[in-house]
Order: sequence, then structure tokens, then C-alpha cells
Amino acid sequence: MNSATARRARFLVATASLAAATLILTGCSGGKSGNTGSASKSITIGTTDTVTSLDPAGSYDNGSLSVQVNVFPLLFDSPYGSPDVKPDIAESGSFVDSNTFEVKLKPGLKFANGHDLTASDVKFTFDRQQAIGKSGADGGNGPSSLLANLENTTVKDDSTVDFHLKVANDQTFEQVLSSEAGFIVDEQVFSPTKLTPDNDIVKADAFAGQYKITSYKVNQLIEYKKYSGYQGLLAPAKTDTIIAKYYKDSSNLKLDVQSGGIDVAYRSLSAQDVDALKKQKDKVTVTTGPGGEIRYIVFNFKTQPFGTGQPDADPKKALAVRTAVADLVDRQALSELYKNTYTPLYSYVPDGLTGANTALKGLYGDGNGGPSKDKATEALKAAGITTPVQLDITYNSDHYGPQSGDEYGLIKDQLESSGLFKVNLAGVENVQFSKDAPNDGYPVFQRGWFPDYADADNYLTPFFPQGGFLHNHYDNPQVDSLITKELGDKDAASRAKTIGDIQDAVAKDLDTIPLLQGTQVVVTGKDVKGAVLDASFKFRYATLSK
Amino acid sequence: MTTSPETIPSPLAPAPAQPRGAASLRGGGGLLRYLVVRFLLIFPTIFVLVTVVFFLMRATGDPITAAQGGRLAPAELARRIHAAGYDRPLIVQYLDFLGGILHGDFGTTYSDHQPVTTVLVTYGTATLELAFYALIVAFIVGIPLGMLAAWIRDRWGDALLRVLAIVFYATPIFFSGLLMKLVFSIRLGWLPVDGRADTGTELELQLLPHPTGIYLIDAFRTGDPAAVGDVLRHAVLPGVALGLLTAGVFLRLVRTNVIGTLNTEYVTAARSRGVSEYRLVTKHAYRPALIPIITVIGLQIAMLLGGAVLTETTFEWNGLGYQLNHYLEARDFVAVQGIVALLAVIVAVVNFIVDVIAAFIDPRVRY
Repeated sequence: MNSATARRARFLVATASLAAATLILTGCSGGKSGNTGSASKSITIGTTDTVTSLDPAGSYDNGSLSVQVNVFPLLFDSPYGSPDVKPDIAESGSFVDSNTFEVKLKPGLKFANGHDLTASDVKFTFDRQQAIGKSGADGGNGPSSLLANLENTTVKDDSTVDFHLKVANDQTFEQVLSSEAGFIVDEQVFSPTKLTPDNDIVKADAFAGQYKITSYKVNQLIEYKKYSGYQGLLAPAKTDTIIAKYYKDSSNLKLDVQSGGIDVAYRSLSAQDVDALKKQKDKVTVTTGPGGEIRYIVFNFKTQPFGTGQPDADPKKALAVRTAVADLVDRQALSELYKNTYTPLYSYVPDGLTGANTALKGLYGDGNGGPSKDKATEALKAAGITTPVQLDITYNSDHYGPQSGDEYGLIKDQLESSGLFKVNLAGVENVQFSKDAPNDGYPVFQRGWFPDYADADNYLTPFFPQGGFLHNHYDNPQVDSLITKELGDKDAASRAKTIGDIQDAVAKDLDTIPLLQGTQVVVTGKDVKGAVLDASFKFRYATLSK
Repeated sequence: MTTSPETIPSPLAPAPAQPRGAASLRGGGGLLRYLVVRFLLIFPTIFVLVTVVFFLMRATGDPITAAQGGRLAPAELARRIHAAGYDRPLIVQYLDFLGGILHGDFGTTYSDHQPVTTVLVTYGTATLELAFYALIVAFIVGIPLGMLAAWIRDRWGDALLRVLAIVFYATPIFFSGLLMKLVFSIRLGWLPVDGRADTGTELELQLLPHPTGIYLIDAFRTGDPAAVGDVLRHAVLPGVALGLLTAGVFLRLVRTNVIGTLNTEYVTAARSRGVSEYRLVTKHAYRPALIPIITVIGLQIAMLLGGAVLTETTFEWNGLGYQLNHYLEARDFVAVQGIVALLAVIVAVVNFIVDVIAAFIDPRVRY
């Protein structure tokens, strides 16, 4: 055998050995899902969410919230199936005078690391939220703005805390305590003035929710273990171990839940993927629940056709334009565009929340939720408006989902096919859009909203009083006064009625036109039970089991 | 962004005539000076790139508006932007940034509060591992097929291989990746859809003291063959998807150079002595034809890193490309600057090393 032949033979043997070793290793390995190995009973959840920070003072986004709701305790929280809140680790909570909300903690509360959870931790939590928000140590990312009505917090005794409020009798305060600003943290672990790094929190085991985090790789993998010391409102976790796997691409999330690579897919699958998965009933179950997200059109009262800043300003004509648009939009068609992952919304407070109604349904269109060209024609004719009316509509091209362009394209078609409007449609990126929209940049524009907490007021106060989030020059003193009334109304029934009155009043003004309400969707393998999606808008892993 | 492989000159191609002493006139100090100059050029390259990225990123807006723009009242948004310092003059922010870099402080990411150095180490190792797999695929597929194409040149098999090479480097990774996933993961169920390992293995690797971040090494350290197998199974599709991109370039390059070598006088002489065509290709023409590949690898590293962004996103491979995508969407200046700086360093250093190797092995390289 000459040297070349020998070399060739050695190469062949080496290659064959490498191939064989690879085949053996890969062939022997069926892989390890979260259901094998040390975890005898576990569920793997996939999501495209991203976590900004585990520290509740450093995040104000749904991705971080979905982790925090499972590991941090709240003073108040929503029981399963209800949007209204009840004491969670608190034993009780009520106004002791018009500006003081007093909370008494349950006895014997502990963090998973063994530290006592006392009134001092509660005070520390809210003090640091405010301090970090004020100093900017949250990098602009924290939820401290939710505590705008909180003057300060004082400790009465080891288990009693007083919250001193700026505005008296704030009926949303219990809801604020159930929001991302209200997660109670361990004062022996968290920094009072800075954000605490995720790994430090995990290492210190500073949790007291239904689960604690035992392994953490940011935006890749989180392992949760049941916390046996949880003493909150909700039942103990049914499954010992939950593993959350993070995806960038929702199509991979879909493929994995479809193939059984994960047990649960929660947020965000595209409407098309959800629709496709609904058809695979032998492999997965698609569960839907009420969603808090709303989508709507905003009119700028100054720059819209016949608006107050226009040379031909005429409030009646301006209202007629808004009325005609409200008459023509076909919400059902918009919902079908989203494969029914959004449902038609006929008022300002979404369905499922206390006080919600369908104020616009009877007032506009065919009176039953459908569009009506005749009514739109009549509205414009009665106001003496020559048609077609030129309307410039701007949508946000990258903030409210990839189908915003399609949604507004369909609205343009709906308006133009009536012959009453000529629409100029433009898509603008969020960064520019966020600067222009509140500064009279667009006469008519898209907006969406995801609530901070599950209370009707969160869909009213931020929007309609002067200087609100929309900055669209809407001003109705009657609405402002009704909002002030509902905020301080201790009687639940009376408050719900006032919330209904506010919706009726705004529906007549058409400050905005509500279009769609989001639906929460979770896809589970056939062997997974207990997925609960309710009007708390929180997905709690503790109900899941196999 | 690819350079046509057929434009890479073979080291055996005749060099243009140089007047005697030209090298010393142009190079001055010879090899050492050449290496020093090439090394020093790395710094302005990185500086220019990082500066361009700094200003381009800021032209697209700030991260606070990108994240909270649709959620906060304008006054609150403005307050937060001011508190974070994003409303300061650009030049002030730029000097701050440069000052930080000079002190080795790359900052903390805005969108997930991670030190940039941690991000670079954590995800850089994943990208390195993917690039390694891709290069193996590129060598295993590209070089033998290139030699085969040269051996059977101008026949239908050669034409087929050349078309295949074009298909390899012209097919977008997200398309080839999706296709492979549908066939091998969904239809046949042979390989996992995505990720670097199954969740159980990932958790096992996280338990290791001082993990390297290179899953294959970490899996070997666990001593668990199932973990090693799992990591390799997950590497197959991303490695092949990215590797074929480079394999196509290698295939055409090797073919061209082997054909060129086969036409040289010393090969003709060997042929006249009765050496077989097989032996001519595998022994006489093969080694000289591989020299340009070293140069091309330098160029391919940039392409591999570019391709890694798409491959990592397609296969949920948590590397730098995957994270870059995430940070770009979040307008996370700090993170993007850090990642781009690292990528620039890698490309510049690899090209420097390639130039050094080329200078050593090919005396006709001018310095």
C-alpha cells in the first residue's frame, strides 16, 4: 500500500468514524423536552414576549408582566374569571378617610427565601417605585406613572400600611395595587434607588407568588417551580414545574406547539396561524378569552375636516363627518380580516368589564352594528356637506401589529366605496407617529390601547379629560364631571351606571370611533387542561395541568 | 455583498511584472511594516463603523418612544426622554459614548437591562458555534464538489454542480431554512424545528459551573451523550442552511482554481508522465487551488455573520444576530452599538489574520 492510498484509507476511516459517532449520538438522543429529566411533571410554555426586566420598577410591558404575575405577590388581585379585584396577600383594604387607603396584610407572609413579608416591604416597594421613576433610574421603562395619585406610604404596624392619596376616594386605587406598579418586593434584596439585576433577584429567591424562578436566561428560558408558601387569593399551582421558552418568530412558536415540541403557545400567534391551528383539533386546543386591547380611530378636533383650526370651521359639519365615518365602518369585516381574533367593539369600555355597554351600536350604521350608507349620506346632506369629503388618515405601521396596513386599507375601501369620502392613507413608523399624533400632526389617525388594569376607568380617564393621552382637542365638561364622579363613587352599582353615562355621552360626540376589541388566545396540546383567559388580562400558569 | 469567486486570482496565475526594487519602494520596511500598517488600520475601520451606527441609530428615534410611544401621555414621555438624556445634543451623547468605550464601558442595554459585555459574551459564543458548524458544512460540501466539478469540467455533471452552487448562495436563508424545517422537522420529524437544544438539555447546561456558552463543549462537559446528541441534532439544520451559502462560493472557487492549476506546465508534465486524472486533481492540483480559499474565508466571515442574523432568527438560535434583530426593533442604541462594534472587530481581525497568512504563504503579496 503506497502512502497516498494509506492516507486515503485513513481519511475514509476517520470520516466513517465521525459519521457513525454523530449518527449514534443523534440517533440515541430523542432530545430532552421539559417533561423529562429532573422534572417529572412539567409544562412548557412558548411565547414571543420579551422581558424588559424582572424588577417591577423597571418594566411597563406585557412581556415582563406575564412573568411577574406568576412570581410576585400583589396586595389586591383579580380572582379567576373576574375583572374585579379582591385582597390577595392583603387581608383587607379600605378607605379610612377620604385620602387614606389602609391595607392590612395576612399574618405569617414569607418570601421564598424565608424573609418575612411585612408592611415595611410594602412601604419599601412603593417608595422605590416612586424614587426610581422620578430619578429616571428605570431608564424610562418603569410603571411609576400608575402611582400618580399616591402622595406617600406609611407603616402603621408590622402588618398595616396606609396609602395617602392626592385625589380623594380614588376607586381605581385597588386596581392600581393589582397592576405592575403593585408587585411587592423584598427590601432585603432589592435596591431602594436602582433597578436590581434579574440574576440577583433569582439568586436571592425573592419571590412570593404562586411560582418562584429557579433558572433564568433572559428572553431564552425560564424555569418556574411551585412556591409552597404562597398565601394569596388564588389557589396553589397545579403543576410543579413550568418552563417558559422564548421565541423571536411566531411561526416557530406555531410549528413547535403543532409538533408537540411545547405544551402551550401563548402570545403572539398571527391571526392566520391561530386560524390554521383551530383546524387541527386532533393536535391542539385553541382557547380564547376576553382581551383588554382595543383599536380605534381618533379625530383631531382642530385639524379634521371642518375642525376648529380650519378656515371653514364648523362644529356641526365636523360632527357630521365623524358621524358618517361611524355609519360606514363595517366592524364585522375588520374582525374577519383578523380571522376573528379581534371582535367588533361598539363602545369605549370593552366587553367584559364592569360598566361596559354598546353605546355606538344603536346610534350609528344600521342600528344593529352593521354599516349604513343611507345614514351616512343623510348625515352629510343634513349638514350641507358636499361629497366626496377628503379625509387624510394615518396609521402606525409598526406598533399595533403587522396587519394595521390591511386594516386601514379596508377602512379606506369601506369609506370610498360609499362615494362619500376620498381617503388619503399613510403609514408612519411609531417613533415619528408618537411625536406627530399628539401635536396636531394628523387629522384622523389610528390608535390602540392595552390596559394597565382591568377597570373601566382605565379606558376613560387617560383619554377624554382635557390634556389626556390623545391630545385631540376634545373637550366636554359634562364628560369630565362624570369621570370625576365615577372615580370617587364608592357605590359599585351607581359607579357602573355613571361609566355607562360617560360612554353614551362620548358616543354622541364621537371623540374617537372604537373599532375592535382584542381576544386573548392560548393554544394548548390535547393533554393540557386548565388554561384560563379572563378579563384580568393576566395569564396565570398555576391553573395549568396535564 | 458576495464577491464573485471567479474574480479571486489564483496564486498560480502569472503575476504582473514588477520593476526590480518595486517592493522595497512601495513597502518600505517590508513584511513587519506591512503587518503593523494592516493592524493599525483595524482601529479607524472600527471607529468609522461605530460612528456611522451611532448617528444612524439616533436618526431613527429613541428607545423610550419606540417602547412606550403608544402608551404614555406626551408630557410623561417627554419627561422620561429627558431623564434618560436622549434629548441632549447629539455631539454630547456621542462624546459620552466615546468616553465610555475608552474606559471599557459599553453600557447597559435599554430594553433588557443587561451589561453589553454580558450580551456580547453570552450571544457571541452562540454565533461563533453556529459559524463553526457552517464552515464545516461549507468545507465538506464545497471543496469536494468543487474538485469533482473541475474533474468532470464541461460535462453535464459540471453544469449541474455549477447551477447547484448558484442555488446554494443565491437562495435566501429564511427560505431554505423554512423549506428544510418543513421537510426534515414537520414532515419527516427527524430534526427539531428550532433552538440550540431542547429545554431539558438547556436547563442541564445552565447548571454547569462556568458554562462556556458553546453548547457542544458544555454538553460534552456534562458527560451525558444524550445532551451531546441533542445539541448536534439542533445544529444540523442551521449549520446546513448557513453553511450551504458559503459552500456555493467554495464550490465555484475550487473548481475554477483546480481547472486553472490543471492547465499549468507542471501538471501537464505530470500528465505526460502518465499520472492519472484522479491523482492529478487530488494530489497535484488540489493543494495549490486551496490557497485562495484562505483569502476568501476572510470575506466569507462577514457574509457568515450577515447570514447568521437571518439563520439565527429563522431557527431561534440565540446568537448575536438574533439579538441584534431584537435590539434594532427596540431602537436599543447601546446594544446595537456594542454588537456592531464586536462584529466589526471580528471581521477586521479575521481579515487581518487572513492577510498575514496570505503574506506568509504567498510571496507575491506586496508589502
